[in-house]
Amino acid sequence: MKAITITSVPGFEAWRDASRMCLAESISPENVIWQNTQHAIQDDLFGHQEATEVLNKPGRKHTVPKAALALFKYAICHSDDTRFALCYRVLWRLVYENKNLIQLKTDDDIIKLFAMAKAVKRDAYKISAFLRFREINVGGKAHFVAWYEPEHYSLELKLGFFQTRFKNMRWSILTPYRAAHWDTETLILEDNPDSSAVPDSDRIESYWLTYYANIFNPARIKTNAMLSQMPKKYWKNMPETSLIDDMIKQSDARARKMISDGSKH
Amino acid sequence: MHDKLIQKLEILSDAAKYDASCASGSAGKRQADKSDKSGIGSLTGGSGICHSFTPDGRCVSLLKILMTNYCIYDCHYCINRVSSNERRARFSVKETVDLTLNFYKRNYIEGLFLSSGIVGSPDLTMESMVRIAKSLRLDHGFKGYIHLKTIPNASPELQAEAGLYADRLSINVEMPTQPSLNKYAPEKDLGAIHGAMNTLKDKIAEHRVEKTYTGKRPPRFAPGGQSTQMIIGADDSSDKTILGTSVKLYSEQKLRRVYYSAFSPIPDASDVLPLKPAPLIREHRLYQADWLLRFYGFTLDEIVHDNMLDMEHDPKLAWAFRNRHIFPIDLNKADKMLLLRVPGLGARTVQKILSIRRYTKINWIDLTKMKLPLKKLKPFISVGDYRPDIHLLDSNNFELQFKQPKQFELFGG
Repeated sequence: MKAITITSVPGFEAWRDASRMCLAESISPENVIWQNTQHAIQDDLFGHQEATEVLNKPGRKHTVPKAALALFKYAICHSDDTRFALCYRVLWRLVYENKNLIQLKTDDDIIKLFAMAKAVKRDAYKISAFLRFREINVGGKAHFVAWYEPEHYSLELKLGFFQTRFKNMRWSILTPYRAAHWDTETLILEDNPDSSAVPDSDRIESYWLTYYANIFNPARIKTNAMLSQMPKKYWKNMPETSLIDDMIKQSDARARKMISDGSKH
Repeated sequence: MHDKLIQKLEILSDAAKYDASCASGSAGKRQADKSDKSGIGSLTGGSGICHSFTPDGRCVSLLKILMTNYCIYDCHYCINRVSSNERRARFSVKETVDLTLNFYKRNYIEGLFLSSGIVGSPDLTMESMVRIAKSLRLDHGFKGYIHLKTIPNASPELQAEAGLYADRLSINVEMPTQPSLNKYAPEKDLGAIHGAMNTLKDKIAEHRVEKTYTGKRPPRFAPGGQSTQMIIGADDSSDKTILGTSVKLYSEQKLRRVYYSAFSPIPDASDVLPLKPAPLIREHRLYQADWLLRFYGFTLDEIVHDNMLDMEHDPKLAWAFRNRHIFPIDLNKADKMLLLRVPGLGARTVQKILSIRRYTKINWIDLTKMKLPLKKLKPFISVGDYRPDIHLLDSNNFELQFKQPKQFELFGG
């Protein structure tokens, strides 16, 4: 048995380096235990580690399709602790079993890998969509601060997006596991940031709420369509969602009023 | 900013909510240069990000407002027509620009979708709209999305200028036929609308060439193309008429997108209008049919059997009922165009099937793993270890097993 401890999150580089090593030594997936220090994982069922089994194969360079590597990059950001083992198993099978394995969309490992990557992609997309900045003044300069709680370790995937879009703004994005600070030139990462630095109001927010409440058409309520795209788990850090309950409650009356006003003539 | 602005925003966003199109279509990628020390914004390449969703299921992607709801026209379906008693307001150029930038900086929106009532004259209105877009682009280095709803009767010069700053331009046809326009929008003329669309189409094509003879790239001109909107159920046009108009708009005017907006009662409505909203399911079926026409290789006659779409079943399923003889279709052998015709198989699933079957034979268990809608698929397909009961498709009450599918928003509005 080989035990590998990944000490960083999401841990892609660490996983890649360790996997390269295991592959070079031909250690099969059943003989590797992956652990992440963020969540202490217990020993395997037998409670002890056996000597590493090395298959007698000469070391050689393995090439992996780009599509597979891209999938690993996303999947490794998943919060599920089994991600390292799954990715290594797929890597192993790509090398020793079938280099087209990724195309086999009905293989159980591949289904799981795609599902993980998809969940992470969606999570990352939602950061770029649902994150809300609030403006504060730091030394006479505007600074935009956001608090966001992603489900996975997906902040890193979107930092490029924020650096590009808000290149000339000073901003900080805080998540429970990591913060990113941008001063228009340099990006600084900080682990386990202090959430009390996040402001609870913003001078423009009332305009946003006004817009949100008025742009919706009370004559066509489709709550489920809204919820499928914006489930309640996202609501607490989106200021406009505090209006939703009342908007739905009043929609009937508002729609009826639209019709009765219409028929007065 | 102060309370008066809040009131204006209330009036001018409320007046914009009847417009169905909200999405920012793809207009390529764009971002501030490395040397740009003040610009803001980006286009990410795909369709724009949905930054929020309202209880009507629509996505909030753009700041969608009217510049003003004053209007000299009297279109009956429109809440802003001159004879309506609505409260009126008007944003200044600066107010609109500031609001857009302030919203953008907080990550509320992808950009601005600006339309307007006609105030003064079509040219005066269009000129102010162009000034807003121009100020965002030139004074503030704004790289986000701008969609301008152009004024059909404005001069071609202004239309041309608009295209230099906007990512998308649109002109609403509103009604599928001229007689309906005559009745509901007496000042509007389908010929003029098509004329304006053709002008824009030519400009877009002209600017899309890679390089001019001098070797320079021409400036961008509405890289996101044109779109339009039709109101459904205010007049008595059939689905076939509506979709026929769309097919023409897609092929002749090269529109990127036609939006369908189920007529919804407006306050202070005119007498010629129906009092009841058009059923949302009709709008939904039109979008489904529109999709099948554009991406699934169906023709108009195949999709609309009579003059109206089947409200009970989606148009692909309805087509399958009328063409039972071609089923079951073998998922291991059928070509792409045929697979696209199977009820329950979307374009993405078809792609997956094509990719899997290069390496392995597809069996029933694979369909369950792919989480396909098996109940719907069952009568229409065969795979390695499954064929439907031979009498299934023949039975008289075959359609009964397909209950009305649950309604859901397939397309972000």
